[in-house]
Amino acid sequence: MPKAEMPSGALVLLILRVLRSGALHGYAIAQRIHVLSSEVLHVEEGSLYPALQKILLKGWVTAEWGISETNRKVRFYRLTPAGRRQLEAELSEYDRVNGAIQSVLRTA
Amino acid sequence: MNELFRRLRYLLHRRRFDRELANDLDFHREMAERAGIPLGNALQLREQARDAWGWTWIDRFAQDLRYAARMLRKSPGFTLIAVLMLAIGIGVNVAVFGFFDLMVLRPLHVRDPATLLRFHRRSSRNYAFALPYPEMAFFRAHSRTLSAVLALNTTKVAVEGEEKQIDANFVTANFFSDLGATPRLGRLLDPARDDTPGAAPVVVLDRGFWQRHFGADPLVIGRIIRLNGKPATVIGVAGGEFSGLSLNQSAFWVSLIQQPYFATGSHVLTDFADNSVRMWGRLQPGFTPKAAEEELRSLAAELHNRHPAEIWEKENLPSDPGGYAKSMMIGNRSGTESESQNELYPVAALVATLGLLILAVACGNLGSMLLARGVAREREIAIRVAVGAGKGRLIRQLFTESLLLALLGSMAGLAVGWAVLRSLMLFTGSPAWLDATPDWRVALFALGAGFASAILFGLTPATQAARQHHRATIARQVLVGAQVAASCVLLIVAGLLGRALNHALSSSLGFAYQQIISIDPGLGQHGYSPARAQAYMDTLQGRLRALPGVESVSLAQSPPLGRRSEIAGVDIDGRSMRVQINRVDPQFFRTMTIPLLRGRNLIRGETRAAVVGESFARAAWPGEDPLGKKSFVGEDDTVVGVVGTARLVKIEDSDSVEIYLPLAQADLPGASVLVKTSGAPEDVARFAAATAKAVDPNTFPEVQLMKTGFRQKLRGGESSAMAVSVLGAIADLLACLGIVGMVAYAVSQRTREIGIRMALGARPAHILAIVLRQFSRPVPAGLLLGVGGAAALSGLLRGQLYGISNLDPAAYLAAIGVFAVTVVGAALWPARRALRVDPMRALRHE
Repeated sequence: MPKAEMPSGALVLLILRVLRSGALHGYAIAQRIHVLSSEVLHVEEGSLYPALQKILLKGWVTAEWGISETNRKVRFYRLTPAGRRQLEAELSEYDRVNGAIQSVLRTA
Repeated sequence: MNELFRRLRYLLHRRRFDRELANDLDFHREMAERAGIPLGNALQLREQARDAWGWTWIDRFAQDLRYAARMLRKSPGFTLIAVLMLAIGIGVNVAVFGFFDLMVLRPLHVRDPATLLRFHRRSSRNYAFALPYPEMAFFRAHSRTLSAVLALNTTKVAVEGEEKQIDANFVTANFFSDLGATPRLGRLLDPARDDTPGAAPVVVLDRGFWQRHFGADPLVIGRIIRLNGKPATVIGVAGGEFSGLSLNQSAFWVSLIQQPYFATGSHVLTDFADNSVRMWGRLQPGFTPKAAEEELRSLAAELHNRHPAEIWEKENLPSDPGGYAKSMMIGNRSGTESESQNELYPVAALVATLGLLILAVACGNLGSMLLARGVAREREIAIRVAVGAGKGRLIRQLFTESLLLALLGSMAGLAVGWAVLRSLMLFTGSPAWLDATPDWRVALFALGAGFASAILFGLTPATQAARQHHRATIARQVLVGAQVAASCVLLIVAGLLGRALNHALSSSLGFAYQQIISIDPGLGQHGYSPARAQAYMDTLQGRLRALPGVESVSLAQSPPLGRRSEIAGVDIDGRSMRVQINRVDPQFFRTMTIPLLRGRNLIRGETRAAVVGESFARAAWPGEDPLGKKSFVGEDDTVVGVVGTARLVKIEDSDSVEIYLPLAQADLPGASVLVKTSGAPEDVARFAAATAKAVDPNTFPEVQLMKTGFRQKLRGGESSAMAVSVLGAIADLLACLGIVGMVAYAVSQRTREIGIRMALGARPAHILAIVLRQFSRPVPAGLLLGVGGAAALSGLLRGQLYGISNLDPAAYLAAIGVFAVTVVGAALWPARRALRVDPMRALRHE
């Protein structure tokens, strides 16, 4: 199956969204997005980690040490309250723009 | 704000964050390998991720810096010359700025300099930078906005063991305690003990005087020294950093209230007409300088009612910040009408411009060197571009080299500037408390100058090299032109100053000074009334005329070439003129050998008559007969005669004009006696001193040879001409070095072409033309620009040129000649190599 390109702004939204249900490590974030998108979206590590660093810088997530399923020390990313607010804002913005695009596509 | 905080935290814990990221990526790789997904370059991934934090430039900069250091170490010769050039260019400016800093920016070494104010007097018709003592005392008694008032009076006194009279500083007893001074030895003046006229007379010594006069003897405390013959006890030595709020070399301080004890008969403490003390005030906390000025203005109005003649109508007392050395430069001037402009500003502007020109030459030179170096590094840069270095990255890297050079240059310049300033200060004998050591402002200035020059000399070559644009001819020609122009300006100004000095030494000032002695008996300081002064002067003049070798004797208020002068600013038809006023007796013109051109001499006892100098007459009444005209000065006296122009006071200023008014009896206590001798004045001077002393043993007459005064007046001109000549020579040398380098480079680049041309039969002149053609436009253009710039700039110098024009053709031609000869030499010397090219070898080469 061909891999779909990810729009750059959407990646941050997706990362925040998959972290809403709990802390995950980097690989798990990529996997979760891949699986939830029915294997359409593939997150390259070349964009995942810069995006994660940016989110850390913005203070939307914190990183904490944990143990992976393979029994290895690794960092888990957890959503902060600021990250939660950012997610809500981005979701509603996404809905607004998406609705607008849809209505253009339907009526034009 | 939080984001910035996290960014900074990242910078501080960069290594840990980087390790954590690496661990994340490793884990990702392990998991991906399990799933059979290939992963990209781990290092590159990490760098991309790290970029998000925005600190990558630091790593790049450190990398560039290391590389630049390595490159500079690899060519020590280039580095040394570059740093030396920058050190000279920046050093000269550091010295200039350092002086400015000392005078204007750096607070004095006194307690709480911000609340110290210096006051002067001002009314619509008069101004004075010193006050009468009783006026100061009135302010001191009634002011609520000032917590303390300080005053200083300088009077010459005779000191045993010293050949010449010395300026004694008479100060209020709170002078030391209020300024927070600490003694080096013993104690200082104490308001509780030394503030009564009847207190035991005591002296505080300046540290320098203590070393000179007493050999730094620690047992000096308690010794008795005689000032004007009056005994006083040495109680202490002031610390070396104590300025005494005066730029003159201080010797010692005495309580002001005891001034009449030392100068017998002095009325300083009671005379409302004598502007004799400088006054400072200490602002009461919570008040502004404006409030203090307001209060003193109303106090002065109150005082004016009681003393309408001496305290001026609508007098106000403007203040200057007193905590800076600049406030001392105004000295003791007083006069009528508009306050005379500060003459230091044009000179300061000129010096600063000359300094910047030197820096411009150094930068232009270094720029040419870097351009040539860029061409030599062609291969290195081509390789870098080939392996993927971007243009921006290359420029940044090359510019980092320039920055590093500039930093080294700044540090060396700081040292050079310190050395220059220090030796200049030693040479001119400035007071010891002026400390030339650079402070943070000077250091910052040096760094700023370095950075600015890095942009000037480094940016163009870096851009040219990175673009691999090898024919940087235009940039190079502009640089050569700029160097030529700047060196030309410096040489021309040096030529003008040299010519002016020569002119001053060889030309006539309009009067003869070689055989004149001036005697200042200082009668006013000893409280002489005009009538007593008349008697004293008549006796003294009679006895002097009887001495052998004396040709003529006269009286004058301001002895020529002396320190005292009276100036009036006059407006005639909208033009403002500065008129030097002298009050003289009828023998003055004969004594000074100033010819009477028209009309008649002054007559003894006459009033409201004036004799004017020819230049005054020409300026005030062009094309008219000056006789019978109103003179604009004083009481608008009638002009009765015209004498030859004589620059009595400001020998360097050809624009100054003179007027002579009759010396009234009231002026006699301040007058000096002038003696013209027929033989050597030294012999008569010895008798004259004794003769004057014998008329009144209580006085301490000061005898000076006028030629000594002339030499002192010239010293300033000599040192500035010397300094500018050195600057001009340095600029010329730098420009020549640059040209030598460029010609040598052109020869080495075009060896093959020259070989072919020679083989085809080109003549030597032709070959030279090829190598030198690059200068055909920038050198004439630079010369033109330099001459124009010098003509404009030297306008600032008009008042310092001892009467020669600032467009003096001889100075311009001489400067251009010197420049042309050195530049042609600099160009031809390396060009000879082009003529010695062997065609066969050149063609076989490569």
